[in-house]
Amino acid sequence: MIRFALGIAMALGIVGGAEAASKDAKAPVEKGAASPLAPVKLALNWKPEAEFGGFYEAERAGHYAKAGFKVEILPGGVGTPVVQMIAAGQTDFGIVSASEIVLARSRGADVVGVFSVYQDSPHAILVHESRGFKSLADVFRSEGTLAIEMGSPMALHMEKKYAPVKVKRVPYAGGISHFLRDATHSQQGFVTSESLLAAQQGAKVKSFLVKDSGYNPYLVLVAVKGELWRKEPEKVKAFLRATREGWKAFNAAPAPANAIMRKLNPTIDEKTFAESAVVQRPFVENEFTKAKGLGAMTRERWAELIAQLKDLGSLKVSDQVKPEECFTNEAL
Amino acid sequence: MSWAKRLDPLWPLASIASFAEVGSRAGWWEAYLFPAPSMVVACLWEDRAEFGGAFAETLFAASLGWGIALAAGTLLALTLSLSDRVERAFRPYAVFFQTVPVVAIAPLLVIWFGFGRPTVVAAAAIVSVFPVLAAGFAGLRSASAALTDYFRLRRAGRLATLFKLRIPSAVPQLLTGARIAAGLAVIGAVVGEFVGGGGLGGVVDAATAQQRVDKVFAAVLLSTLLGFGLVSIVDAARERLLSRWLRS
Repeated sequence: MIRFALGIAMALGIVGGAEAASKDAKAPVEKGAASPLAPVKLALNWKPEAEFGGFYEAERAGHYAKAGFKVEILPGGVGTPVVQMIAAGQTDFGIVSASEIVLARSRGADVVGVFSVYQDSPHAILVHESRGFKSLADVFRSEGTLAIEMGSPMALHMEKKYAPVKVKRVPYAGGISHFLRDATHSQQGFVTSESLLAAQQGAKVKSFLVKDSGYNPYLVLVAVKGELWRKEPEKVKAFLRATREGWKAFNAAPAPANAIMRKLNPTIDEKTFAESAVVQRPFVENEFTKAKGLGAMTRERWAELIAQLKDLGSLKVSDQVKPEECFTNEAL
Repeated sequence: MSWAKRLDPLWPLASIASFAEVGSRAGWWEAYLFPAPSMVVACLWEDRAEFGGAFAETLFAASLGWGIALAAGTLLALTLSLSDRVERAFRPYAVFFQTVPVVAIAPLLVIWFGFGRPTVVAAAAIVSVFPVLAAGFAGLRSASAALTDYFRLRRAGRLATLFKLRIPSAVPQLLTGARIAAGLAVIGAVVGEFVGGGGLGGVVDAATAQQRVDKVFAAVLLSTLLGFGLVSIVDAARERLLSRWLRS
């Protein structure tokens, strides 16, 4: 209902518009700075967790300030319509998934991906070890319940691949409380987060990476409105340079940013925050990023995603979405 | 009412729908933020099988929840009103619990009742029971003072007063309670479906994930029609029951 109400409100531009107006009016001016910092908004699609560490680090260590920005990081939750917020100009930068960009573009929204935090998707299906599952196919072809974002390309992909599906799919509301309570319950999550949390809380958990099923879109992707990128490329570039510095620093020493995020999201303990940063590193840095830099993307991956979305029916075959329109590495 | 008068409510609908259609086509706003009515209708047609199944599911759950609320609310009001003291003690809570935000307790319902229909029915019943209870309380007290005195003069017993005076006097208020509860039961069911799965709530959930604003609106349209249908049942019952009551 919250998600629904928010969706409608966002669709009408009420919530964000009013909020933006009131916040702009009270935009903080840094004392003692040579020139006042430009206020910029970054909308997250989830609560402060490891996958956003680099952004909090960039703000904490002053990389954003050095680039001339005062960044307001807005945490999100289940169903925060970040892609619509970007398209409607209610936030300058937003965190989305690659599939959201493709779908938004097919519906006429001009949103462009400019920096992908994750090179590989850390999405996983968490199951109880006691079920004895050996693969994702076992999860989908067995009895029990599976909490998954219904209708999402990830869900559609696996439902198609592992048909005939026997497991009962139920709505995913975030968190792991159901998982901890019910031994026949499986759920989606990040190996960098929910898997660790569940283990921390005593569950014998086994995680199957969704990317092994062949669905591996860019995730935790910084996106902007196409207009912003075309009109103010320097602003986008400066923001991303600072973001990249933030991520380098976070990967090297996550503790300071973790402390900030822990205050904002006390549901995750210190140990899990520390573990998350370590577990997620190979998803953020790999051979490709060593050559091309953190956040870089390839046209092939985008083309593959578009083909998959068409195959799943999320995208009509007639939809003209070109991979090169969905993203750019030029802002890096 | 003449047919021409019955059609009057269609004018505002036609005007607003035309405005939305023209605005959307002329590009006054983006269709992915607010779809044209024709897109919504096209979507309803295209996915009619899915919508039909979802509508039936929500209809069943909302009706069942509503039925439970009507029975439980009326029974509770009757039982509690047998003693003035008990009624005084419980009446404020009937009003108080009307304000329980079902959205907030929905995740708990899944924990108590499990995924699927039981949670959806429970959500529908919980939001719709309190208006029935509150209306029942008010109705049972609404007998005219003159009639109450007359019953007392004739030394009518408590039960006789209840069945021959208080319950008949409560019918109009109970119907009002049932009418409010009908709309709420649909809202409760859809909220329940957000967390429990299935039905029109499930369609909205999936459509949001796919950024299908047209589909969200189509499902919302169907759920409002569903609420309208349940309310119409009460209105029909009111016309029948009350006209007979007045004649006697």
